[in-house]
Amino acid sequence: MTRPLSATLDLRESGGARSICCAACGHALADAGQPWKPAATVRERPMVGIAGAPYSTGPKVQLREFFCPGCGALLDTETALPGDPFLTDIVRP
Amino acid sequence: MTKRSPPRAEKTAKRRGARYVVATDVGGTCTDTIVFAVGEPVHIGKSLSTPPNFADGVFDSIKSAADAMDVSVGQLLADTALFVHGSTVVDNTLLTRDGAKTGLLLTEGFEDTLHVTRGAYGRWGGLTEDRIKHPVKTDRPAPLVDPDCVRGIPERVDYKGAVLRPLDEEAVARAIAALVERGCSALAVSFLWSFYNAEHEERVAAIAKRVAPDLYVSMSSAIAPVPGEYERTSTAVINAYAGRIARDYVNRLTELLAERGYTGTTLIMQGYGGLLPAAEAADRSVGMIECGPAAGVIGSRFLGDLMGDPDVIAADMGGTTFKVGVIQGGELEYAREPMVDRFHYIAPKIDVISIGAGGGSIVALDPRTKVPRVGPRSAGARPGPICYGQGGTEPTVTDVLALIGYMDPNIFLGGTMRLDIEAARKAFAAQIARPMGMKPDDAAFGIYRIAAAQITDLIREITVERGLDPRDFTLHAFGGTCGLLCGLFGEELAVKRVVVPYTASVNCAFGLVAADVVHEYSVTTTLPVPSPASAIEAIYAPLVARALGQFKAEGIGRERIRFDRAIDLRYRRQVHEVTTPLRAESKLTDRAVARLVEDFEALYQRKYGKGSAYREAGMEMTMFRLSARALMTRPELEKRRSAGMSPKAAHMGKRRVFVAAKDGFAPADIYDFEKLESGNVVKGPAVIHTPITTIVVQAGQTGRIDGYRNTIIEFN
Amino acid sequence: MDPITFEIIRHRLYRVVEEAVITLKHVSGSAITNEGHDLMVSLYRADGSLLMGGVGFLHHLTSAAEACKHIIRTFKGNIDEGDVFLLNDPYTAALHTSDIYLVHPIHHQKKLVAWSACFVHVYDIGAMNPGGFSPESRDIYTEGFSSPGIKLVEKGAVRQDVMALLLNMVRSPEMVALDISSMIACGNVARERMLALIDKYGFKTVDRACRSLIDQSETLLRARLKELPDGRWEARQFLDVQGEVYRVTLAMTKKKDTLTFDFTGSSPQSPYGVNCSYWAGWGALFAPLFPLLCYDITWNEGMIRPITMIAPEGTIVNAKRPAPVSIATVGAIQSVNNVACTCIAKMLSASEKYKDEATAVWHGSHVAIFLFGKNQKGGESIGIMTETFGGAGGARAFADGIDLGGEIPNPISRMANVETVEANFPIRYLFRRRTQDSGGPGRFRGGAGGEYAIVPHDAPDGGIHFVVSGKGIQYPMSEGLGGGYPASPCSYQWVHNNEADRARNADAKFAQSVDEMPGRKEPISWGVFPLMGEDSLYVRWNGGGGYGDPLAREPATVLADVRTRVVSRETADRIYGVVLNGDASAVDEPATRARREALRAARFAKAAE
Repeated sequence: MTRPLSATLDLRESGGARSICCAACGHALADAGQPWKPAATVRERPMVGIAGAPYSTGPKVQLREFFCPGCGALLDTETALPGDPFLTDIVRP
Repeated sequence: MTKRSPPRAEKTAKRRGARYVVATDVGGTCTDTIVFAVGEPVHIGKSLSTPPNFADGVFDSIKSAADAMDVSVGQLLADTALFVHGSTVVDNTLLTRDGAKTGLLLTEGFEDTLHVTRGAYGRWGGLTEDRIKHPVKTDRPAPLVDPDCVRGIPERVDYKGAVLRPLDEEAVARAIAALVERGCSALAVSFLWSFYNAEHEERVAAIAKRVAPDLYVSMSSAIAPVPGEYERTSTAVINAYAGRIARDYVNRLTELLAERGYTGTTLIMQGYGGLLPAAEAADRSVGMIECGPAAGVIGSRFLGDLMGDPDVIAADMGGTTFKVGVIQGGELEYAREPMVDRFHYIAPKIDVISIGAGGGSIVALDPRTKVPRVGPRSAGARPGPICYGQGGTEPTVTDVLALIGYMDPNIFLGGTMRLDIEAARKAFAAQIARPMGMKPDDAAFGIYRIAAAQITDLIREITVERGLDPRDFTLHAFGGTCGLLCGLFGEELAVKRVVVPYTASVNCAFGLVAADVVHEYSVTTTLPVPSPASAIEAIYAPLVARALGQFKAEGIGRERIRFDRAIDLRYRRQVHEVTTPLRAESKLTDRAVARLVEDFEALYQRKYGKGSAYREAGMEMTMFRLSARALMTRPELEKRRSAGMSPKAAHMGKRRVFVAAKDGFAPADIYDFEKLESGNVVKGPAVIHTPITTIVVQAGQTGRIDGYRNTIIEFN
Repeated sequence: MDPITFEIIRHRLYRVVEEAVITLKHVSGSAITNEGHDLMVSLYRADGSLLMGGVGFLHHLTSAAEACKHIIRTFKGNIDEGDVFLLNDPYTAALHTSDIYLVHPIHHQKKLVAWSACFVHVYDIGAMNPGGFSPESRDIYTEGFSSPGIKLVEKGAVRQDVMALLLNMVRSPEMVALDISSMIACGNVARERMLALIDKYGFKTVDRACRSLIDQSETLLRARLKELPDGRWEARQFLDVQGEVYRVTLAMTKKKDTLTFDFTGSSPQSPYGVNCSYWAGWGALFAPLFPLLCYDITWNEGMIRPITMIAPEGTIVNAKRPAPVSIATVGAIQSVNNVACTCIAKMLSASEKYKDEATAVWHGSHVAIFLFGKNQKGGESIGIMTETFGGAGGARAFADGIDLGGEIPNPISRMANVETVEANFPIRYLFRRRTQDSGGPGRFRGGAGGEYAIVPHDAPDGGIHFVVSGKGIQYPMSEGLGGGYPASPCSYQWVHNNEADRARNADAKFAQSVDEMPGRKEPISWGVFPLMGEDSLYVRWNGGGGYGDPLAREPATVLADVRTRVVSRETADRIYGVVLNGDASAVDEPATRARREALRAARFAKAAE
């Protein structure tokens, strides 16, 4: 049984256990109802200039990207300052 | 037969004693023709429209009229001095997206003018409230110009019309070449402030003629010389997009007419309610937009004049939409932010508003709330209402009208079609009544009321919300379905009376012969109030000269020409402009200017409310309009004498129908319109069946046939 | 309640609001009301609860309800037929002093049966800076005339002493008088039409229909909420003003058929006017909630019942008096709009049925600039540059965001024509267009924002002044969704062309980009500035957030983006991983495949570090 949890994540059930999985490859990141970002591959880099000159953000502003450790699919992004906690999204199963 | 365009054709035809005026209106479904001559009865012809080659349907329709006159098409045309025509060809081109691949030249730096549509304006423009509240699911309509067919040209003019940056002619030539290479066969050019200084656009047109002579070019300064670069650009684009199609259509029509022996003049209807000679109309595709509804309003004005009603609400209920326009004191209203489809544009256009409520509108329940809605989806002509038996499965307004007893299944459309009311009843009960938990009859009555209420609200929008009181108006009910509802909504609006015209089914064609040749000219420039009359005369002099020159070239004598002048004024600190008629004799006096200002203030207050004017900021005049009109001969309708009030001879019996006052079925008198005579009075509740429509007279109302065979519903 | 009568009355109520809006626009004749549609008209029940909210700026629907309720409490026993009340104090119910509420009680046969409320952003309110956004104010006392509720019209007669009080404190009092007149007329029309409706159907029937309408909205929203999964979603926005950075943080919790918005953790209030008061924050919540969750439900009290807000006092989203709030509507209110949009969109994304209703953030930050000074006709002009209403649409789950697609809190916004502005202000535009690379990258690209540059032209005083209260410069405010990137931020630059030598200055006259101007570019954001001589003001606003992974965007679509110049080749290559051939006429498929593989590999490489 599969249902969407976000644009990029599914809730999948297998063998009685429900997990948060990458919608692209099925890699399980966390148990249902738990934060999944700690299990993701995180890349944080300064946002300035990333996508052209108009990306003229302040030097400290970071673009955080969360990737699936299985296939590298981009699961989510955040705008953050270094040290900011992750934004946690929980969908009750 | 030699194909040549006939010069001074009208005189030629007249010399031979040609006496007929033929008017053919091509609508979406039907093509209607009216033939008249002074002293003869009016003849009508009807046939189905023939998209995409509409011209063929024109001749089918003319033939239908000729048959009614017992002559051949050739004989009729040989005896015709004037052919007047209105067509949906441009509307159809926009609808089917069949126009030319169009390029666009804009002032460098402003290349996104067309595509960003002043922000969200193009995203929500033309949408109903339901859709506006749902922004995630809205989009701009697909543009008429591909984004990679736009080029910015180095040039710049300022708000005074002064040239700040000369036109880079090399860049123009290069851009045109690139666009032609990309496949563009039409070009629109729209530079900032070109309506003040058209020189740069004109030079672009000259260059285009040199380097790409086959390119169809449209200049915004020629097509829509008014401020507001987005709307002006959009107008030039539409004109270029549909330009060749309109031109080819008009030329082909002219050729086909000539082939069949026609040597008279051809005039084409415009969206502002005036006619233009074919040669000029051929180059103004944008002028033909929605000329059908415009003709409808003109036809209504003609009837109003005839019946002594200067204040008319012109309502037309067709298969898909309900349209309404207003005539006040014999004057027409022009749309302020006109749109066609979902495009903004700025050609003058008679104001007609509409909702998706027609005979074919589908009745459906909101699945969550079980509340019924009428339209805007439509079953169209195919499959059409369930009772037409053409495969329709969803109940429509027509089905509801049949269920509540207003339609006689045996004599529908003059007996040519039998209605399957049982099928309608079954579907209605299953899809509407049962889920609503109502008895089918009660549900049907309720839907009828909802439809009437929606129409009432629409009509209030164009009257009450503009400072007009429906109680001062007569309502004309056009279209196949209007007669069935007008008794209900007419009474709710408390209009003076409702007229279901005899010519209702061919009203647009009637409008064509009720229109005049009208050339509109305008100059955008600002003059303070007060300004001496001489300053205003100086602005009008060249316009008048142009108009006289134009009419002379068209062979129209000075004695038939009327000039109407109107000036747009505003209060300096406010945005609203009001077009105010200039009531003056040929030479303008300072007194007339003072009267203009008084009229402006009165009009402003009427439109925008008491206390809305900030007079202390002063006023200014911003646009000077000249409407040059050549009066055309009007048809004369035969007025019959009264044959007495009793409608007995037309009485066909009684039938149980929905009577609003009783909130249920009650017996009503049924009449055959063909047997009713002028002077007859029918007391409601009654249903009058005509070959093309049905008229319902509610309880407490009377229906009187006048000398022109119009049905007049009065409320007592 | 029989569904037929209910439907007819519902539609008539909606037309009451529509007609009142038309009156408002007509009587005012002001540009900000007519061009920008910065207005609102709604109907309320006798107890002040929202009955039918109209389109316009949506944050006001619920705060105007509070205005009605406050008037009811304060003037109890003293509310008569024909009265009209004025309220614009942000700590009572309004959003900021410029947005004046006029509240009309509606009496039927001597009994109070309903209210109508409306607002416009008035021409001026007497704040420290003209136009109503007052970046120089450090407290509410310098933000102009402010009333917690005063009777402006008494039994049909305007109280001249109250009018004089207001007009005495504002610039261009004649224009403000017109704004007030338009609101009085608007409410009068609403009152007349409402009474006509009651006369026709009878009070009992109309009352029952109104109650049904509200109950129906509540039922429908609760049913929809039950269809959505329970959960808790977080969002964060940064607000940068004069070197300070503030956060608005939101945790939205959906449980069964209720929704709670918790702003705990947001920054303490600011000394600058970007704060918003409690009711402004409350209203700001509903601005995205209505169109995103309730697009097919009548906007009224029924939808408010399942919603709760937690906003700790003294934070930037619930500032304490006398904190300044004049910039709230383009400040904290917008941040609340954005975080609410993000959380609601994340919740919708978790539903198979509703995932296509999700959208990335639209137009995260306004670029509100007011011009003032003597115009080329010799008169005085104050006015907002309406480009800020151009906006930019956030990308959706199934399509790109719309370039200059407007904003969610005002479904009917638009910007003025260049020619309209050039006719009324002594300025000339050098250019106005979409900004390349402004839409947030994603599988579906965020809509592009716009940019423009203006220079003085025929100005009797040599130029004009402008008030800028800009943010969204350091931090992007149009967040992406589902892996989409945020849009580019805003930028305001004072280009000192006057300082450039004459020879180079000739080029500035028709510069096609800010880079082509020879003057020194000074980034500005806050305060009052001159625009004189050959200097130019350059403004660029944000795009909409992107949706999904940029590496998943169709290469052919990226090619089209590059050809129409809304995305640069560089961004196509580095972010979308799409390589084009030499003249950008086609996608280089093998190079694109290789590039995308490399970019994906780089994602893993980061983890290894």
